[in-house]
Amino acid sequence: MIEVELHLQRSEFQLNVEFSVPGHGVSAVFGPSGCGKTTLLRAIAGLEPDATGSLEVNGRKWQSPLKRLPVEARGVGLVFQHPSLFPHLTVEENLFYGMKRLRKVSNPFDLKELILILGIEQLLKRHPDSLSGGELQRVALGRALLAEPKLLLMDEPLSMLDQASREILMQLLESFLQQIDIPVLYVTHSSEEVARLADNLVLLSRGGVTACGPTTTVLASLNSELSRSESAFSVLQGRISNKELSGLLSVECSDGIDLKVPASESMVAKHYNLGRAVRLRIRARDVSICLERPQQSSILNILPAVIMEISTSSDSGSRVIKLDIAGMHILSKISDYSVQQLGLHTGQAVFAQIKSASLV
Amino acid sequence: MLQDYDITALIITLRLAATTTIILLIVGTPIAWWLANTRSRLRSTIEAIIALPLVLPPTVLGFYLLLAFSPDGPVGKAVAALGLPSLAFSFTGLVLGSVIYSMPFVVQPLQNSFVSLGKRPLEVAATLGASAIDRFISVVLPLSKMGYLTAAVLGFAHTLGEFGVVLMIGGNIPGQTQVLSIAIYDHVEALEYGQAHWLAGGLLIGSFLVLLMVYGANRRIHLMKTA
Repeated sequence: MIEVELHLQRSEFQLNVEFSVPGHGVSAVFGPSGCGKTTLLRAIAGLEPDATGSLEVNGRKWQSPLKRLPVEARGVGLVFQHPSLFPHLTVEENLFYGMKRLRKVSNPFDLKELILILGIEQLLKRHPDSLSGGELQRVALGRALLAEPKLLLMDEPLSMLDQASREILMQLLESFLQQIDIPVLYVTHSSEEVARLADNLVLLSRGGVTACGPTTTVLASLNSELSRSESAFSVLQGRISNKELSGLLSVECSDGIDLKVPASESMVAKHYNLGRAVRLRIRARDVSICLERPQQSSILNILPAVIMEISTSSDSGSRVIKLDIAGMHILSKISDYSVQQLGLHTGQAVFAQIKSASLV
Repeated sequence: MLQDYDITALIITLRLAATTTIILLIVGTPIAWWLANTRSRLRSTIEAIIALPLVLPPTVLGFYLLLAFSPDGPVGKAVAALGLPSLAFSFTGLVLGSVIYSMPFVVQPLQNSFVSLGKRPLEVAATLGASAIDRFISVVLPLSKMGYLTAAVLGFAHTLGEFGVVLMIGGNIPGQTQVLSIAIYDHVEALEYGQAHWLAGGLLIGSFLVLLMVYGANRRIHLMKTA
């Protein structure tokens, strides 16, 4: 377990957080910019000397009201938003900087394999100033991991990269972060990154935690500020069940419930084997509700659903509805007016029209 | 041609400049580091005190140092109490005076260099397990190479050219406290222009070569960075 209870008082900003996440897997810290995500991460790393409270990582006390471990004694890996390699050292020397300072090297990674996975084998002798943003960030990740951290912190590691390098690094993170034995706290404001990477989700707003738990549960809750916002979304897990349709993939998300999602031929051929586990992201505003099953609709995914909960009306005159589709929970955002017109109420059987779902 | 006492003056000058520079690099590093990182309100006061020699006539500084070093002065009394020889009119006194006089020329380049370094490399090093001293040696020093070179050259060169302070506290004793700049003055006073030329011209060319080397090194480092 990673148990966090930290407080930090700044002149114009207050951080007061209390949450715990499992001591393995990827936990995303998600929130709008300025909500204190980076400050929280820095406080956990020990880089904010004024932060008070307590912090425990898998049984090790990093901070208590009586004592705080200095940064260098915590065993924390930190990948910053701006890749921060030492400019006076080569890529290789950067990689080994932390490893050389370990008292006891237990080599959880095979060095050669790690270098290959990160795709930096050609760069080892070069200096950081000749590397691209994506390359720098991959070296920084390798450097942090080789120092054998007890907790890996990542502060929007993709946000400074161009679209192409972002996609490369994202695919690497997707498979790699699940393989390693180190818990990861991943700060981001991108719903796509949450959907693709996070097993657990901590929602942060104005310096406080508003929700925390498994990603699908947190996203399906109507109480969070996120679910009321324009960017509300749901994440479903499933397996590829059919790839014979032209331009479409079929994903089985629950017993007998298939969702069809668009996918280009080349993507299908390259990445998606039958039975592969995938995640789908569905925006709440892309889900509408009908009382009867629409016939001859262009919308591919129309599924029977039961209304579990209806939120109170928001300022913008819309409501969020939590739907149960064969045990899966997804959010739908529709107007207050429609809720009145259709006479929607909790427990009602309806049909959910999912205008678009994307593989993430 | 150079006389024996001119060569002695040259050697004393080089010894003084070298000793002063080494002491200043050692003493200046923690001062500059503190100035670059502190949030203390004392900072501006300390900065102002260190910068004083930049604006004061050297004779003012020399005058007060002389008073302090005299047998009745605070430093003089302390030195006598410890059973050490007097500082006034001695080489040690000159070194002490030069350290104070050349302090800003060493502290300021180091401070600028530490500030431009930023906190990030040190934070990264800390998360990678480097202790404070380790961080300083493995990150700060190599990244502040240019700052140290500039500080050393400015400190050395400034001490070479010192006149007023040395005259006040050194007393112009040939073979002990007579430095080059004062020897030149003496030659000119005695209308020995030929000998003054040897010393003055030598100093001019020597200083130019040193500065040329520094700017050359600066350019090479800059080119390396942008290569």
